[in-house]
Amino acid sequence: MARTVTALVFLFFFGTAAAQETLVVYWTKGFYPQEDKALDDMVAKFEKKTGVKVELSRYSPQESVPKAVAALDAGSPPDVAYGDVFDFQVAGKWAAEGRLEDLSDILTPMKGEFLPITLETVYLLNEKTGKRAYYAFPMKRQTMHVQYWKDMLAEAGFKEGDIPKGWNAYWDFWCSKAQAGYRKKTGKRIYSVGAPMGVDSSDAFYSILTFMDAYGVKVVDDNGKLLVDQPAVKKGLVAMIKDYSHTVAAGCTPPSAVNWKDPDNNVAFHNKQIMMTHNATISIASKWLDDMNNDKLTAEQRAEAKANYYEKIATAGFPNRPDGKPMQYRSAVKVGVIFSNAKNLKRAKEFVQFAMQDENLTPYVEGALGRWYPVKKAAVQREFWSNDPHRKIVHAQFSAGTVPFEFTKNWKFTILNNENVWAKAVNRVVVDKWTPEKAVDEMTARIKQVAG
Amino acid sequence: MSSIALPRSEPAAPVKPPRKGLSTWQTWGAILIAPYVLVFLVFVLYPVSYGLWLARHPASYQTLFEDPVFFRTVVNTVVFLLVAVNLKMALALFLSGFFVHERRWIRWLSVIFIIPWAVPAIPTIFSIRFMLNPEWGIVNSLIFRLTQQDGPNWLTDPSLALAMAMAVHIWKALPFWTLILMAARLAIPRELYEAAGVDGASGWQKFKFVTWPSLRTLYLTSTLLSMIWTLGDFNSVYLLTGGGPADLTHVLATLGIRYIRLDQVDQAMATIVVALPFVLPLVYFMMKRLSVDEQAR
Amino acid sequence: MNKLAREARLWLVGIPVLLWTLLPIYHIFLFSISSKDSAFSGALWPDKPTLRNFGTVFREEHFYLHHFWEQIWNSLWIAVAVGVLTLAVATCAAFAISRLKVRGGRMVMNAALFTYFIPAAFLAVPMYKAMGSYGLLNNRWSLVLAMVTLASPYAIWVLKQASDRLPWELDEAARIDGATPLQLFRLVYLPLMTPSLVAIGTYALLLAWNEYLYAFLLLSHEETIPLSVGLAHFLASDDSPWEVLMATALVYGLPPAAIYYAFRRYMVGGLTSGAVKS
Repeated sequence: MARTVTALVFLFFFGTAAAQETLVVYWTKGFYPQEDKALDDMVAKFEKKTGVKVELSRYSPQESVPKAVAALDAGSPPDVAYGDVFDFQVAGKWAAEGRLEDLSDILTPMKGEFLPITLETVYLLNEKTGKRAYYAFPMKRQTMHVQYWKDMLAEAGFKEGDIPKGWNAYWDFWCSKAQAGYRKKTGKRIYSVGAPMGVDSSDAFYSILTFMDAYGVKVVDDNGKLLVDQPAVKKGLVAMIKDYSHTVAAGCTPPSAVNWKDPDNNVAFHNKQIMMTHNATISIASKWLDDMNNDKLTAEQRAEAKANYYEKIATAGFPNRPDGKPMQYRSAVKVGVIFSNAKNLKRAKEFVQFAMQDENLTPYVEGALGRWYPVKKAAVQREFWSNDPHRKIVHAQFSAGTVPFEFTKNWKFTILNNENVWAKAVNRVVVDKWTPEKAVDEMTARIKQVAG
Repeated sequence: MSSIALPRSEPAAPVKPPRKGLSTWQTWGAILIAPYVLVFLVFVLYPVSYGLWLARHPASYQTLFEDPVFFRTVVNTVVFLLVAVNLKMALALFLSGFFVHERRWIRWLSVIFIIPWAVPAIPTIFSIRFMLNPEWGIVNSLIFRLTQQDGPNWLTDPSLALAMAMAVHIWKALPFWTLILMAARLAIPRELYEAAGVDGASGWQKFKFVTWPSLRTLYLTSTLLSMIWTLGDFNSVYLLTGGGPADLTHVLATLGIRYIRLDQVDQAMATIVVALPFVLPLVYFMMKRLSVDEQAR
Repeated sequence: MNKLAREARLWLVGIPVLLWTLLPIYHIFLFSISSKDSAFSGALWPDKPTLRNFGTVFREEHFYLHHFWEQIWNSLWIAVAVGVLTLAVATCAAFAISRLKVRGGRMVMNAALFTYFIPAAFLAVPMYKAMGSYGLLNNRWSLVLAMVTLASPYAIWVLKQASDRLPWELDEAARIDGATPLQLFRLVYLPLMTPSLVAIGTYALLLAWNEYLYAFLLLSHEETIPLSVGLAHFLASDDSPWEVLMATALVYGLPPAAIYYAFRRYMVGGLTSGAVKS
C-alpha cells in the first residue's frame, strides 16, 4: 500500500513536472492561411512527439524585432524566435553582441543537406569571442523578380518577345514605349515601372542593391572591409543611383513610390496602376493563387484570380547587366535564432532540429505558395518548383547561383539597411532634387560612419 | 468655514471639526487617496525614472545628433508647434464666436462639429490618408476630372506632407478647443454686450473691449496647454505619413517610436529627454498658473 | 437687408465648417459601401453600392479579420475596465482632496496635473519598458492600467473642481448628524456629483476605446489586441483591402460617436468645467 502511494506521488510530481514543460516560440505571421496552418501542424507534431507544450506567438514582420527585444529586455526571452526580417535587421547584430546560442551542434551534421550560399550566411561573427559560428538557423530564402501584366503589355501594343534583353533598352522600353502605348490606347493615367523607393521599405533597399549588383559594384570585401572610397566603386554607385532614380523624373514611376511601404508596390500592381514592378518575392503572383483557392470568394472572383495567375501575370528575371553579362541575383536567407539566455535551451534546439527536417520544413515553405524558396537540396527537387509557370522561373533564377548580402560579411550593414541609406540617396535625388554625386557622397559618408 | 448658526441637537457620538485632524477622517482621506498614489508611483514615477536611467549614456545622445534624421525632426516639430497650434487656436476663437449664435441649425452643426474629436483616430486619419493618395485618392481624382491636370503630391512632397499632418491635427483637435472657448464666451454676461451695443459699439469693438479681455487669459493658457499636447501628437504624423517620405516628416513623438522599432531603445529615450527642455518649462508654467487660480478662490 | 447679410455671413462660415468636418467621415462611409474597383476609381459615389464589405467583416472572412470579434470584444472590455477603474480611483481621490482635505492633497493634485500635462506619447516608451519589467506585456491589464494612469489626472482635476463647488453646509450638516466619511461619500457626495461622474466615466471609456499607440506598444498577440491595432495591421496586407478596412473602421468608429452623442450634455458641461473658471 505504502509503495503504491509513494509510486503514485512520485508519478504525480514527475508527471506534472514533465507535463508542465513549455517552449516559448515567437514566429512571424504568414501571408497566407496555408503557411500558418503548416506551422501549426509542425508544432502539433512536435508536441505529440515530445510531450512539450509549445506557446506559439505570431507577430507581423515589422513587430517581430521589437517584440523579441522587449521580451529580451524584460528578462524573459522566447526560447526560439523566427522573424522574416531578422537577417536584414538584427541577426548579425545579436551574434556580434554575443546574445545568441551557438547552433553548430545541430547544423554542422546537416551541412550536406543545404544548397550553396544558405548555411554560409548564418556563419556569423561573435565579437565577444572573436570567432565565427552558426548562430542562426536558415529556413527559407528570397530573391528579386520582375513581375508584369501580360495583358497590359498587349494593350500597349507589344508582345513579350518585344521586351529587350539589354539593360538600358529594357528600362527604356518599359518607361517610354510601353507606358506611352498603354496610356494612348486606354486613356488611363497609369505608370509602367513600379520601383519601390520608400525609406520604410525593405523592398526598396533590396531593389536598389540589385541595381548595384547589375552595375557590378561591391561596397564591402569578403572580410567586411569597406570599399566605398575606391573611385571605381564611387563611380558605379553614382551611375546606379542615377539610373534607379530617373524613372520618376521621366514620369514612368508613380510619385508616391517614395512613400511606399513593402506591400504598396504589390497593391499598385494588383490595381493595375503599374505595368511592371520588381519585388523581392513572387508574392504578387502568389496572391492570386491564394485567391483562386479561397472558398470565401465568389466563383467569378476565383475565376478572375485563376486567369490572372496563369495567363495574365508573368514572372521574369532581370535583363542583362549594363556591361552585357547575365544578371546575378542576391538572395536573402530568412533565419531564426535561439537566445543564449533562453530558459529551455535543450528543447529549443530540439524544436529547431525538428523544424528543419525536410518532412516538416518543406510543407511550411510550400505553404507560402512559392513566395519563399527552400534552402535544402531535397526540397528543390520537388515537382512543386517545376509544375508552375511562376515557380519555374524562381527555380531557374536560384539554380543559376546567387550572392549574399553585405551584412553577412559586415553586420553593421544591418544598421545601414534599417536606416535605408540606399533609399535615402534615391529620395535625395528624386524628392530633394540633389545630384546623384551629392547623394552618393552623403550615403558613403554615412556608410563609413556606421560600418567603418 | 460656515457662518450659519445651526440648531444643535444631541450628537450620537462626540463630533470634532476635521480641521483638528480627527484620525477617522484623515485615515479615510489617506485610504481614499491611496489608489491614485499607488497608480502614480507604479505607473508614472517608476517608468519615468527607469526611462531617464535608460537615457543616461552620453553615447546615445551623440548617436542621436549624428543621425541625419534628427535635425530635420526638430525643425518639423518646431514648425508644427508654432504653425498648427496658433492656427488652430485662432480658428477656435473665431468659430467659438460663430457657434454661440442662437440658431437651430447652428446648434445642430455644433453637435456634428464634435465628431472629429470624438471618433477614434485610426479610421479617420486612414480615411484622410486614402483621400490624399496622389494616384487614386478622391481629391486628386476630382482635380484631374475638373482640370485634366495631376493634383499635387499631397503625401510625397515633404513640405506638403507636413502641412497635411498639421491639417489633420487641426481637424481632430479644433472641436475641443472651440468648445472650451465657447463655454467661456457663454459665461460672459449678456448685459456687457447690451451696454456696449447701446453705446454704439460695432461688432469688432464688442470683441475687442468685451469678449477679448474676458477670454484673453483662457486663450493664452489654452495655447500653452495645446503646445504641450501637440508636442506629443503621435497619431497625426504616424498614421498619415508614417514619418515619410524618407523620414522627412518625423516629429519628436514619432521619432522615439521609430527607434523602438529598430531596437535602439536607449536612443528612443534620448529623443524624449531631448524634448524635455521644451516641455518642462511649459508644464511648470501651466502648473503655476493653475495653482495661482487655486489660491485666488 | 442687414439681417439677410448677417444670415449669409453665418452660412458662409457654416457650410465650409460642415464640409470640412464631414468629408473624411463621408469618405469612410463611401469606401465601406464600395467594391474594390470603384473605391480606387476616385468616384464620389459608387456606381454599385454594396453591403458586402460589412458581411466580410462580420463573418471574419478576410485574413486580417480572422479575429475581428475577439478584437472588438477586447476593445470593449478594456474600455469599460478603464472607465470603471478611472472613475473609482479618481472619485475617491477627488473626495479625499476636496472634501476631506487630506494632508498632502495639494502634492497629489500637483503630481496628477504633472502627469496630465506631459504628452502621453512621451510616457509611452518608459511605460512600455516598465510594463516589460512588471511582466505585464501582452496582458490586457497592462493597457488598462496604462490608460487609467493617463485618464485619472484629468478626471481628478475635473471632479475636484466640481466637488469644490458643492456647498460646505451639507458636509457640516452630515458631520453633525454623526455621519462617517463613507456615509458622506455615499449619501451626499456621489449623488450630487453624478453628472460629472457620467462625464468622466464616458471620457475615460472613450479615451481607452480610441487609443492606438499604447495598445500597439503593450499588446501584440492577435487575440489580445484591441480593434485599433487590428485595423493598423491591415496596412501590412498585400492586396490593399481598403474597402474592407474602411468598413471595419466604420464599425469601430460608431460606438464612440454614439456614446458621445448620447451623453453630450454631460460631456460638454462636465469637461469644460475643468477648464473654465466661473
